[in-house]
Amino acid sequence: MSALAAGVRKVGAYAWFTVDCVRATVTHGVPWDRVMSESYKVGIRSFPVLFTMALFVGSNLAIQGHAAFSTLGGGNLVGMFVALAGVREVCPLLAATMVAAKAGTEMAAQLAVMRTKEQIDAIEVMAIDPRSELVAPSIIAVMLTLPALTVLTIAVSLISSMLVAVYQLGVDRGEYLSFLVGYLTAYDLFAATAKSVVFGLIIATVSGYFGFFSERGARGVGQATNRAVVTMCIVIITLNFALTSILYG
Amino acid sequence: MADSPSAQRPFDAIPDGDPVISFRDVHKSFGDKHILRGISLDFPRGRTTVVIGPSGTGKSVCMKLIVGLLVPEKGDVWVGGTNVPDAPEKDLMSVRRRIGMMFQDGALFDSMSVGDNIAFPLRRHTKLREAEIHDAVDHALEQVGLPGIADRAPSALSGGMRKRVSLARAIITKPEIVMFDEPNSGLDPLTSDEIDSLISRMKEELGITFIVISHDIVGTFAVADKIAMLYNGHLVASGSPDEILHSEEPILRRFLARNMDLPALPGAKP
Amino acid sequence: MGGGVYQRGKAQQAPQGVDLGGTLRAVLLSPLVAAVRGPIDVLGRFSRFGARVLLTVPTRRWSVREFVTQAGTLTARCFIPVCATIFPFGAVIGVQGMAIFDLFGAHRLLSSLLSLVIIRELAPVLAAVLVAAQGGASFAAELGAMRIKEELDATAVMGIDPIGWHVVPRVLAMAFVVPLLTTLANAFGVAGGYVVAVGLYDQDHGVFVHHMAQLIGIFDLGASAFKGAVFGLLVGLISTWRGYGATGGAEGVGRAVNDTVVYSVMFILVVNYQLSSLLFGGTGG
Repeated sequence: MSALAAGVRKVGAYAWFTVDCVRATVTHGVPWDRVMSESYKVGIRSFPVLFTMALFVGSNLAIQGHAAFSTLGGGNLVGMFVALAGVREVCPLLAATMVAAKAGTEMAAQLAVMRTKEQIDAIEVMAIDPRSELVAPSIIAVMLTLPALTVLTIAVSLISSMLVAVYQLGVDRGEYLSFLVGYLTAYDLFAATAKSVVFGLIIATVSGYFGFFSERGARGVGQATNRAVVTMCIVIITLNFALTSILYG
Repeated sequence: MADSPSAQRPFDAIPDGDPVISFRDVHKSFGDKHILRGISLDFPRGRTTVVIGPSGTGKSVCMKLIVGLLVPEKGDVWVGGTNVPDAPEKDLMSVRRRIGMMFQDGALFDSMSVGDNIAFPLRRHTKLREAEIHDAVDHALEQVGLPGIADRAPSALSGGMRKRVSLARAIITKPEIVMFDEPNSGLDPLTSDEIDSLISRMKEELGITFIVISHDIVGTFAVADKIAMLYNGHLVASGSPDEILHSEEPILRRFLARNMDLPALPGAKP
Repeated sequence: MGGGVYQRGKAQQAPQGVDLGGTLRAVLLSPLVAAVRGPIDVLGRFSRFGARVLLTVPTRRWSVREFVTQAGTLTARCFIPVCATIFPFGAVIGVQGMAIFDLFGAHRLLSSLLSLVIIRELAPVLAAVLVAAQGGASFAAELGAMRIKEELDATAVMGIDPIGWHVVPRVLAMAFVVPLLTTLANAFGVAGGYVVAVGLYDQDHGVFVHHMAQLIGIFDLGASAFKGAVFGLLVGLISTWRGYGATGGAEGVGRAVNDTVVYSVMFILVVNYQLSSLLFGGTGG
């Protein structure tokens, strides 16, 4: 039970930290220069990795969808499968996981290093709130860039799955497209974007929390980064279920 | 609690030599480790006070208490007219804006150039134009004896240089108190001497209150107007360098003797 | 180290003249060069490290006891993350699958699709990604801290091969534990779908169970575990490689953890594509 109590305390501390970040942002203002640099880091530097992954995941979607539906006698339904499974679930999750893995761990590690090297103390001594200076900009940045990355992921994976479906699996292109367009609605795109905004908040605040309160030293930095990435993965996937239930249930 | 009346006045109303910072019966522990066990100590305005003692006796903790990075379990820390542990955030911020701090390893932001590091507090706290900030940065770098390195990266600097840049960043906002965390740690004897003479020179130039945390006896006597020694969470001795040299306090004598063995020690003989 | 607006150099002199050519070169060319040269470099160094580790395995100059310890801790630490993520994943497939099959009035097919997707794709990938995030990252952090604190050098000075002592047991533990967790994840994932289908959408228990094994067989369970083993080996090698070669103080350890997670996820997804084509390509088309 004490483990449970510790867990609850942690969640409480995390919630307070998030509230503190927002409050600090309101009272101290947003350093927009940092928002820009963070957005650049998250957006541009995660994109090549995400692009490659979207290619592979898109083709895999086509292959698996084809495998599943051809046994049931409908190999040409693959367009529908990609539209529904890919756009609704896989792409938002893929983008969030990659950004968590790349930008999220980077933010956690950087904050932990700043804690170790007394740089966070230095900011506090300068009468600047380190939460509004360091964490709030990445919250804004990730919440802005992740939806954009998600839309790009969707585009790339749709194209790659179409290429695989048409040229490798021999599905008729017109049929693929008509099923794709027929089942893909604006609501799906809205839902995917809405999900990714929430995921962005989670990524920035969880990595911020673990980095900000890390122990000093090399071990502390490693530990903070490790905990941040595991927590992000679990929370994102669990939350995805809740969001799917709300949006589609 | 505040039995030091002058401590409650604003900084500039305090006459030279009267306490600008006062610790009153301060206790601080981490877990079951009792680090400070009832410290009462004054830091006179316009003087350099050096806090000495073996490592792990809570010297750095004292410094963090002054700027409110840590909160004591019991006791008051008066800075000017503000009791830091009880102060609302607004007052705490105004205390911090009057204090500059040189960190042990500089605590420079790796992602910024030296110049941006020094300009950082100005950019966040003032509406100065870039050209003015530029001039201020150049002036601060000259003051610490490192002109023309504004474009360099902190990672390209030596330990002593990082400390100096940290000092430049601390003084750029024209604080009324400057704190030095272990200015000599990790430096070779020559660089160490340079830092000591820099502190003395800055003291003359700025004429403000300095607080130095150190375990380096040589440096301490070179810069101090007042010396306080912490041991096991207690204040075992405090006074002018002369008084400290002639003190009969056994722990202090042992601490001094260990360090005074060094052959090259100017002014060590009583 | 973060780059960003606080560029070194002339950052303070306001951005008056923008160097368009330089910007273009920076935006277009350097990622291109990096995109070609970077991966080749990385792959080369990685395979050299991997070969060194794998060649140490048959020499038996590694500690079996350490392997058992590592495998134990790994299972204990990764069990909950893996199950906690695959279960909601199964549930999501339940919700979305119900929506899809609703269109055809073919609810009974849900469990076929569910078990197919979980066992062939999601369980191995998700188990490996979570193990990379939890176990791999902690391997990188541990070894990185040991490198920075010169503990690895100390091991070598004592005449003990740090690869055999610290790296091989961890890599083998990964290759051993991930298939186990994958198999567990298969069960938990299908259970997640079951809860939604039978619990929430009132599908008949018998229908769900009956159709479960329609599209898959024992071969798929084996293939699933095999995928897990390959991913485990990869994650083990990547994490120890990054940790073992960490440089540059506390930042270095953070970088090692970051690299481990990013490389692992990339390798897993890419290799998964290859393995899927290899294992299921024939049966699917």
